[in-house]
Amino acid sequence: MAEKFVSMRNLRFLLYEIFDVESLTRYPYFQDHSREIFEMVLDTGEKMGRDLLHPYFAEMDRNPPEFVDGKVKVLPMVRTLMKECGEGGWIGAHASYERGGQQMPTLVLNAFRFIFCAANYSASVYPFLTGGAAQLIESFGSEDLIETYVPRMFSGEWQGTMALTEPQAGSSLTDLATTAEPTDAGYYKIKGQKIFISAADHDGVDNVVNLLLARIKGAPPGVKGISMFVVPQKRIGENGKLEGNDLLTTGIYHKLGYRGSPITQLSLGENDDCRGWLVGEPNKGLRYMFQLMNEARIDVGMSAAAIASAAYYASLQYTQERPQGRPVTSKDPTQPQVPIIEHADVKRMLLFQRAVVEGSMSLIFQCARYVDLSHVLDGEEKERCELLLDLLTPIAKSYPAEMGSLAVSAGLQCLGGYGYCDEFPLEQHYRDMRIHPIHEGTTGIQGMDLLGRKVVMKGGKAFMLYLQELEKTIEAARALEPLKPHADDLQRATETLKDVTGRLTGIAAEGKIDLFLADATLYLELFGIIAIAWQWLVQAVAARKALDTDSIEAERNFYTGKLYTCRYFFAYELPKIEGLARRLKACDGLTVEMKEAFFED
Amino acid sequence: MDILVCMKQVPDTETKIVINPEGTGIVTDGIKYVMNPYDEFAVEEALKIKEKMGGTVTIVSMGPQRATEAIRTALAMGADKGVHLCDDAFEGADSYSTAKALAAAIKPLSYDIILGGKQAVDHDNAQVYAALAELLDISHVSIVTQLDVAEDGKSAVAQREVEGGAREVIEVSLPAFIACQKGLNEPRYASLPGIMKAKKKPIDVIDLAKSGLSADEVGEKGAKLKIRKFFLPPEREAGKILEGEPEELATQLVKLLREEAKAI
Ligand SMILES: Cc1cc2nc3c(=O)[nH]c(=O)nc-3n(C[C@H](O)[C@H](O)[C@H](O)COP(=O)(O)OP(=O)(O)OC[C@H]3O[C@@H](n4cnc5c(N)ncnc54)[C@H](O)[C@@H]3O)c2cc1C
Ligand SMILES: Cc1cc2nc3c(=O)[nH]c(=O)nc-3n(C[C@H](O)[C@H](O)[C@H](O)COP(=O)(O)OP(=O)(O)OC[C@H]3O[C@@H](n4cnc5c(N)ncnc54)[C@H](O)[C@@H]3O)c2cc1C
Repeated sequence: MAEKFVSMRNLRFLLYEIFDVESLTRYPYFQDHSREIFEMVLDTGEKMGRDLLHPYFAEMDRNPPEFVDGKVKVLPMVRTLMKECGEGGWIGAHASYERGGQQMPTLVLNAFRFIFCAANYSASVYPFLTGGAAQLIESFGSEDLIETYVPRMFSGEWQGTMALTEPQAGSSLTDLATTAEPTDAGYYKIKGQKIFISAADHDGVDNVVNLLLARIKGAPPGVKGISMFVVPQKRIGENGKLEGNDLLTTGIYHKLGYRGSPITQLSLGENDDCRGWLVGEPNKGLRYMFQLMNEARIDVGMSAAAIASAAYYASLQYTQERPQGRPVTSKDPTQPQVPIIEHADVKRMLLFQRAVVEGSMSLIFQCARYVDLSHVLDGEEKERCELLLDLLTPIAKSYPAEMGSLAVSAGLQCLGGYGYCDEFPLEQHYRDMRIHPIHEGTTGIQGMDLLGRKVVMKGGKAFMLYLQELEKTIEAARALEPLKPHADDLQRATETLKDVTGRLTGIAAEGKIDLFLADATLYLELFGIIAIAWQWLVQAVAARKALDTDSIEAERNFYTGKLYTCRYFFAYELPKIEGLARRLKACDGLTVEMKEAFFED
Repeated sequence: MDILVCMKQVPDTETKIVINPEGTGIVTDGIKYVMNPYDEFAVEEALKIKEKMGGTVTIVSMGPQRATEAIRTALAMGADKGVHLCDDAFEGADSYSTAKALAAAIKPLSYDIILGGKQAVDHDNAQVYAALAELLDISHVSIVTQLDVAEDGKSAVAQREVEGGAREVIEVSLPAFIACQKGLNEPRYASLPGIMKAKKKPIDVIDLAKSGLSADEVGEKGAKLKIRKFFLPPEREAGKILEGEPEELATQLVKLLREEAKAI
């Protein structure tokens, strides 16, 4: 049997039974879609994941991109993959019909991408990064830019990238220094350095289109002076042929994991001839980027959950096959050893993984539903979706990234010594996973975003809407006798969240901003655990109801597994908020006071 | 070229097959069905012939309601239309009564070549195409790993796998039935625009009345083969581990091979 890396059953559960993707087809924008179409999308995703991406999972790690004669070489499969994804219409699937897309709901695309990421994370980055970059041009670029670049990105001939980071400006985008000098010819001359830019040079495509942030000469300092440009690696010359754009790759980095995709160092305009085309209006670059950033951040969470899913299934299989030890109740050495899945502690490690994977997935699909609804709704309802999406984005990015790292570690642990060796995929998943708490804004930055911006924005409106959502789920669970204890637990957790939030915003009101934000990462953690508990309860309500009617054994096992995992989450994970709440309410400024000098020796 | 592809929907090869307690069939609850993998090669080859020579690709399938999913998948890959033999009367068919129904659906159609998988991976009989070719009075070539249709569309050269990895090259006049084997091509993935378009492509549903056949000729009633019982092969006995010095071991082994295994 082929190696399992994703549960298609679970994807269908989330799409149809929890987030009712079919209901989207009521809206004119999605009216051409149907369950039959979604099913074919899932089937195709499964096939491509299994046959096109997964076979290269280890190979891409063992043979990472090479930097030879100023060019980056990747495995030939990258070109094949880009071609298949381009010709298959998967890169531009989200776009409108007019733009050459298929108006595919984000929920379904998320499921499709999830399969790719679980099959081979490094490979999945090439097409999906291109789709994201093209989406930026589509949303904010001129018709001319759209016509020139988007079709060739959608077809997979040209790679798209997001080029933000510079040596002195990673988390702190305020400090971006790459410059853009206007010319009379409609383009700007770009000069500067970029680092860590994913896929900005490789031979799996014919050209690379960088969506790059830079400062127009004379622009105001800080984030208000950042503009977005299309800066192609090769520009289209007078005769229509591609020619150099004075954009040099100066090196690639050697990474812990996620090795199948290069991250490059770029030097722009060394010969004063690097041309960039402004996207949208001057000085609005960061705003544009952030509009996509929500989705990019949720994608990171999705990728993290996907890697953890692959790790879970690899460890599950191993624990079913590996005989080791005997039940604690019968240590008779003449009896054969039992498969390790029979040990309670191993089951705990499996439950932990599943709780993180499927809890994260549910939150990510919840966000995807808000994305889809905000496309088709107006007025207050649209605003509600957007606010909830804004609020939940840092959680949907960080919980899967941080907890996914621990989940993969538990998966590795299930394999004992083999978990640490490269005969099995766990060590690679463990390495691949570690990027997720770093890119698209570190966990620390997400914590400050949540507490410093999202929770307090619009007078706490998003936060209030979120509490209403929790309340709805608590009510639904209360109506089902076996779920009442969970409903009560989530109710108490909600009180804790309100209590902690009130205490922290009180500190902010006193003007002690340093104390307010000092433990923002822990606040993010507390908030995240409660959000995932919410999603587990949403799933448990559906599973409980389904168990009343479904008689097929495999289905009953699926729903029962859901209920056990929900119980696990409420019993093992949710109580962690108590320690966090205690710490957060102290607000004693310990880390603020601690001085650099005290760290030495 | 008018190209037909005979296609069957079968349980996914990853399915864990469970035999029902009565031993009359398998438990179908919760099974995922897919296009027969060998039929994928047939669909792909049909599309390639169409791309080269023009024409249409029609998918012909007999099966319950759910078989439309597999027909749509073929349409999403690029086929033009479907013909779906769907009626309770067709149920429980063997290779012969299947061929009978397929032939009835195919006879009124115009066709220059018919493609199909070398066997369906559910019952593994590999007989439908031979019976069908007989009923249509055309030739068939089985286990084909390479196919070249002549420019005039009147004949084709097919390579087929034979024992020992050798190849047999056969020239056949068309129309003929070509039974496709792995290696013939790499089936394409359905594209998203293809998936969206598939919904709008026509599928002609043919029930018993429309097929012009009588209930006695098709399905279980028309079958020449009766399945008495389904059962799993007996579990293999545990292996033996011999112990002792190499010389003793050799003697023991020879004895066992001669007396128990009767292999020498
Ligand atoms: C594999 C990989 C792929 C990448 N791909 C891209 C890409 O395609 N495009 C792109 O533009 N960039 C990319 N990056 C860059 C990535 O986004 C940055 O690494 C990330 O934003 C962190 O910036 P930094 O590395 O400069 O770390 P720093 O900003 O130096 O952060 C170091 C540590 O300090 C903390 N910190 C920093 N500032 C603060 C603060 N104000 N308050 C509290 N804590 C703070 C951080 O949380 C972090 O823990 C990639 C990076 C990697 C490793
Ligand atoms: C880098 C490396 C160096 C090593 N060096 C040495 C060395 O120098 N000498 C040496 O002798 N060995 C060495 N080892 C072996 C190492 O000690 C074993 O890998 C370790 O003891 C775990 O055993 P295992 O790999 O068989 O895992 P298993 O015993 O199969 O364990 C797999 C999982 O099942 C769980 N499990 C197993 N039994 C039970 C039980 N009864 N109840 C509950 N849970 C259970 C484990 O906790 C683990 O999570 C080394 C291993 C590595 C990876």
